[in-house]
Amino acid sequence: MTMLPERAPGAKKLGLVIDLDTCVGCHACAVNCKEWNTGGEAAILPDYDKYGPQPDGVWFNRIHSYETEEGGCSRTVNLPRSCLHCEDALCVTVCPTGASYKRLEDGIVLVDTDKCIGCQLCAWACPYGARELDEKAGVMRKCTLCIDRIYDENLPAAEREPACVATCPSRARHFGDLADPQSEVSKLVKERGGVDLLSDLGYRPTNKYLPPRRATIPSAPAEAPSHDGKGLGAALLKLLDKALSR
Amino acid sequence: MRPAASILLLTTATGFGFGLLAWLGAYAALGLLPPEAPALLIAGIALALILASVGLLASVFHLERKERAWRAFTQWRSSWLSREGVAAVLIYPLAIALGVAFLRDAQSLWTRLLGAATLVGSLGTVYCTAMIYASLKPVRQWHNAHTAPDYLLYALFSGAVLFAALRTAALGAAGPMASVAALMAALACFAKCAYWRHIDRQGPLATLASAIGLPKGTAKALDAPHFSENYILRQMGFVIARRHAARLRRLALGVGFALPLVLEVLAGLPVVPLTSTLLALGCAAVGLLIERWLFFGEATHVAALYYGRPV
Repeated sequence: MTMLPERAPGAKKLGLVIDLDTCVGCHACAVNCKEWNTGGEAAILPDYDKYGPQPDGVWFNRIHSYETEEGGCSRTVNLPRSCLHCEDALCVTVCPTGASYKRLEDGIVLVDTDKCIGCQLCAWACPYGARELDEKAGVMRKCTLCIDRIYDENLPAAEREPACVATCPSRARHFGDLADPQSEVSKLVKERGGVDLLSDLGYRPTNKYLPPRRATIPSAPAEAPSHDGKGLGAALLKLLDKALSR
Repeated sequence: MRPAASILLLTTATGFGFGLLAWLGAYAALGLLPPEAPALLIAGIALALILASVGLLASVFHLERKERAWRAFTQWRSSWLSREGVAAVLIYPLAIALGVAFLRDAQSLWTRLLGAATLVGSLGTVYCTAMIYASLKPVRQWHNAHTAPDYLLYALFSGAVLFAALRTAALGAAGPMASVAALMAALACFAKCAYWRHIDRQGPLATLASAIGLPKGTAKALDAPHFSENYILRQMGFVIARRHAARLRRLALGVGFALPLVLEVLAGLPVVPLTSTLLALGCAAVGLLIERWLFFGEATHVAALYYGRPV
């Protein structure tokens, strides 16, 4: 059923908190995600043209790098991008078949690949670009929050977390119940001022991002060429510059 | 957004089909169809249903798992795509019932009621199609107040042009339909210009800085996650050069709306009515395909922001 479930206030809301301050952009989370999900309970995550000139494939998690500037300080910010398990998930309500759904018990957004017809409307409805078509099986695929890990009682309790969280070498990824104000993730969000991506669009994502801590060392101002030189020295320098820039 | 041939064919062919059905329904409801020429209504209904079927079949070819297409009828409570499917299927028995009622008694209450129901049903289906796009918040060129009325207008325009040609073929003259089609061409042209003006003046839906959760600062893309195009970029990163878009816009206005307008006026005078209405029909079909290509080609998706592409 693709109506969003009517979830009681305070109902369990599993999700990720990603620290943009400590993420080093190593792509380990993306690689471990691919590794776990291609060998997991569901079908493989396909690759196309693996060793060709245009390698491509389905990934649930993709790491971007940006150059940002705020208050005269510039820095590199790495942004892991995956499904945010939104409260107002338009990808669920647009689905014509009921394949796309949000779980009542923990808010995880999933695709039932046995029902999906591959119309791809859900991918259009997601502003985060989190859904990718499995072009081999003809169905939509997305992050499952490693639902086949987090509830697996055969795993030691400490390992019942998503593959991306388990592997992160800089501990930039955290997993937990964001509806519980006492959970570690909720405390992190409160302390560090966690934010929603594209909050203006009103999807109310569950996953939160912790903004980079304020940089205190101002970047050196970009060098500007000087044109105010006069006299013999300046003329010589100009000549030298001309000769060297040939 | 990538303009897929199957979706272009779906929206234009169903526009012609349901547009024609809407006019036939309106004529029947008002008792304006000449009872001495039942072939006009019967041929009209048949043609409309064939066009709608072509469009709907094209849409099935857009699906990756065609054998599961029946599932798309189940989620009409939340999904406009599902509602479109349900509405489109309900139209068939309605249109056939209208034909039967007309053959029995062209002026009966049943004919008029079924005519009105066909009119509402066909426009309702077109509305559902439009709302599939209008409900997508990440695409500013679609999620606005223009999309739904525009789709209705283009369907009524294409249906009018088709009905005028059909009426001329059956009765030798387009009658009032030539003026109606000319008027619809003018209205559709006006609506398209207003839509382009709107999307040209719209600001971007979001900035890259707000997309990465740092709305106070500025950001630019440094490294993408991958070097080759992926599914997201192929579907949602489609960019058309402004130069090409401007040329296609002129072509859509000229061929799609201006030429049919002139030809329908000629047909109404009447100057070579059959040739004029048929030419108008051809021009409208080509023009609307270009217009629809632009509707997709010019649309940008917020997700492309993450790759530093313009939205």
